Amino acid sequence: MSKSLAATREVLTTPILSNNPVAMQVLGVCSALAVSNSMQTALVMTLAVTFVLVFSNLIISSIRNLIPNSVRIIAQMTIIASLVIIVDMVLQDIAYELSRQLSVFVGLIITNCIIMGRAEAFAMKNKPPMAVVDALGNAMGYGVILLGVAFVRELIGSGTLFGHEILKTVENGGWYLTNEMFKLPPIAFFLIGLMIWAINVIQRKRG
Amino acid sequence: MALKKDSVVGTMIFIITLSLLCSFMITGTAELLKERKLVKKRDELKRYVLMASDVDIRGDQDFRAIFEASVTPMIVDLDSGEIQSLERTQVMDFDERMAAINPETSHKLERKKDKAKIKTRADQVRIFQVFDENGKLVSLVLPIYGKGLWSIIYGYVALKPDFNTIGNVVFYEHGETPGIGDFLNETQWTDKFRGKQIFDAKGKPVLKIVKGGAKEGDIHGVDAVSGATMTGRGVQRSIQFWFGSEGFKVFLDKLKAAEV
Repeated sequence: MSKSLAATREVLTTPILSNNPVAMQVLGVCSALAVSNSMQTALVMTLAVTFVLVFSNLIISSIRNLIPNSVRIIAQMTIIASLVIIVDMVLQDIAYELSRQLSVFVGLIITNCIIMGRAEAFAMKNKPPMAVVDALGNAMGYGVILLGVAFVRELIGSGTLFGHEILKTVENGGWYLTNEMFKLPPIAFFLIGLMIWAINVIQRKRG
Repeated sequence: MALKKDSVVGTMIFIITLSLLCSFMITGTAELLKERKLVKKRDELKRYVLMASDVDIRGDQDFRAIFEASVTPMIVDLDSGEIQSLERTQVMDFDERMAAINPETSHKLERKKDKAKIKTRADQVRIFQVFDENGKLVSLVLPIYGKGLWSIIYGYVALKPDFNTIGNVVFYEHGETPGIGDFLNETQWTDKFRGKQIFDAKGKPVLKIVKGGAKEGDIHGVDAVSGATMTGRGVQRSIQFWFGSEGFKVFLDKLKAAEV
């Protein structure tokens, strides 16, 4: 029992740092660039990806023995696409403004390699409970990077966090001159690069 | 299992079942959210009309109540300029998009006249009159739409009671290039329309989006945004079309005549 618990923990925690899907496998970078200019969009995107990832892994893992080998990718895509459409519809219902800001990127979760990758690499070979744990771990790994980048970008780019003013900007009569560069996508490349570096250094220290 | 999952028949059965299940999942969700979507759409309409007419809706008061109290929606026949007498609920249920494509309630536009590139135009359009507390008309909100670079741009133009000066404009739906053409719903740009006049002395719609910036004192010119020539041109053409003879001109002339 304790052995399987340790295994579960490993499946859950390795994707957060040592095998982070964005930083280590460099998957799902496109959306990480696009929606990480504010904490709010980053959080909603993380939640959307978590939902899709958990359910796609759960469904695919529970029918993994029924899926014919020749059409397995198509079958995975069908399930993922359906889930993404549902997320998109629900998001438009409960947070319309936000879904507008996220625009195409919710739909593009379909092409997010993390989800396909986990479905193909893990859910096809493991039992449903483990697949869900794996999905949660990878979603957290994605979220950590996304929120980390968004934290820096929103704080320096707009002087706010979750829309609340942290640094009083010059526009509002304060002292902080916002750095417009942090609002634009390229900066996310640098930030993710720095994060990859940091994670590598930590990993190496740990041996 | 008698049937092998990797056989052709097995694969077919699996894919068909999976597709069916997935489509049920999606239609089920859509059906659940349908009712709420309708309400939301109507709320949105109200909010945009109030926004266009510069009614403050940020306060505690419910914007729906403000809409009920100060806005009168009505259906106008564009060719005759007559207002149709209909119940308020009927007017609110009016589906402009359907009316514009249904051959019974619309007509094809000739290529030459079709400045806004919308192909067909509804015979009847829903407009909104906005009154202040004393029952005085403060603005007339008219819907416009037309093709930009990629997409149809939808918006409202609110006219002041002289039926010429723009109070405000709102573009509420478009699919222009993100980051380039999506300045349409930024107030920083739409504010430039305030106080501009649509018609010249002869009654021709001459409002322009001027590349390089409108000259000081130009009452018909609005600054263009660089990099978005086609989007700006689309907006200009839409406005010129909708305030031309194929659009609201007949109706507006009638209103002006009634005033004098």
